[in-house]
Amino acid sequence: MIAQEAQYRAWMLAALAGDAGAYRMLLAGLTRHLRGYYARRLDSGAAEDAVQETLIAIHVRRATYDPSLPFTAWVYGIARYKLIDEYRRHKRGATVPLEEAGDLFGHDEAEAASARRDVTKLLGKLSPAKRRLVQDIKLDGVSVADAAARTGMSESAVKVTVHRAIKALGADVERKADDADR
Amino acid sequence: MRTDDLIAQLSGGLEPVKGGAVARLLLGATGLGLAGSILVMLVMLGWRYDIHAAVTSFGIWTKLIYTLTIAAFGFWLVERAGRPGADMTRPALLLATPLLGIAFLAAAQISAPGADIPVLVMGQSSRTCAINVLMVALPTLAATFWALRRMAPTRLTLAGAGAGLFAGAAGAFVYCFHCTETAAPFIAIWYTLGIALSAATGALLGRMLLRW
Repeated sequence: MIAQEAQYRAWMLAALAGDAGAYRMLLAGLTRHLRGYYARRLDSGAAEDAVQETLIAIHVRRATYDPSLPFTAWVYGIARYKLIDEYRRHKRGATVPLEEAGDLFGHDEAEAASARRDVTKLLGKLSPAKRRLVQDIKLDGVSVADAAARTGMSESAVKVTVHRAIKALGADVERKADDADR
Repeated sequence: MRTDDLIAQLSGGLEPVKGGAVARLLLGATGLGLAGSILVMLVMLGWRYDIHAAVTSFGIWTKLIYTLTIAAFGFWLVERAGRPGADMTRPALLLATPLLGIAFLAAAQISAPGADIPVLVMGQSSRTCAINVLMVALPTLAATFWALRRMAPTRLTLAGAGAGLFAGAAGAFVYCFHCTETAAPFIAIWYTLGIALSAATGALLGRMLLRW
């Protein structure tokens, strides 16, 4: 059972009875899941379009939700159909594996965003030069050679700097976790 | 448009949905489709001349019950196919009941002493039966597709096949009022073939016509 099932189903039943407030909460909640789902499969412009198309489809076809069945499975069916439709429109031969609705609801865009915030905060503890190196090599995938050319450092110096910075950040996180435990 | 604005717009104009909306849509489409199928049967084929005598015969009831049972499970199949995330296994498995029933009855008639097997199997109209069933089914097939397009089928070929199966069985039911064949082996072969043709037509058209 998907964790959000009970809450979303309650909102959906209220929405079918005409409760606009519940419906807004439902669509806002679903948007977060849909963003994560499409962002992992489409490029960013197409992903937001797919989110909107799916919201419209959910709206127009909301009468096809059978209250005796799981709501999350219904939404997932629509999201997956829209994804296949998007692939088909761009003549991409991609096949969409049969996944479970958990694939849509397991990842939450809000969670990913908060993880990104944590990383940014953590990187803020480094000096600007080190931060730039860690950002380039560990997050953006710049090669060590390119980073060395940019900074004028030797490749091995770059590697050592990044390694030490990561180690320092790791120690910092561990210390915080210890403090929290106490 | 920003997604937040879209959400505000969709929830702002929210209308309540009455319970049983899908059932009413499908029943309405079935009514329209059947009217069309009956019209095709009357205009192109005509009532069977012995309809008064036939309603008391075993043969016509075999046909009516066989086609009606398939139509009922087909209707259920279409209702499931139009709902994302709904399981179609149960109605699909239940379709085996009428098929087994008619096969059993056909086997009994063929193995009865003194059975004239070529007559039981080929009847008078084996050459036209399946095509006629398909022709009578077409209006109901069109109406079922119309309803499915207002639902949300996610497996289009399967949904189309379900619609074709339902329409084929409904068409065969209507065709019973024209056709004078009564032997179970004939029904088991030629009526079933007509229904299968309709299901195949629906499966082929589904991918093209049911997209949304």
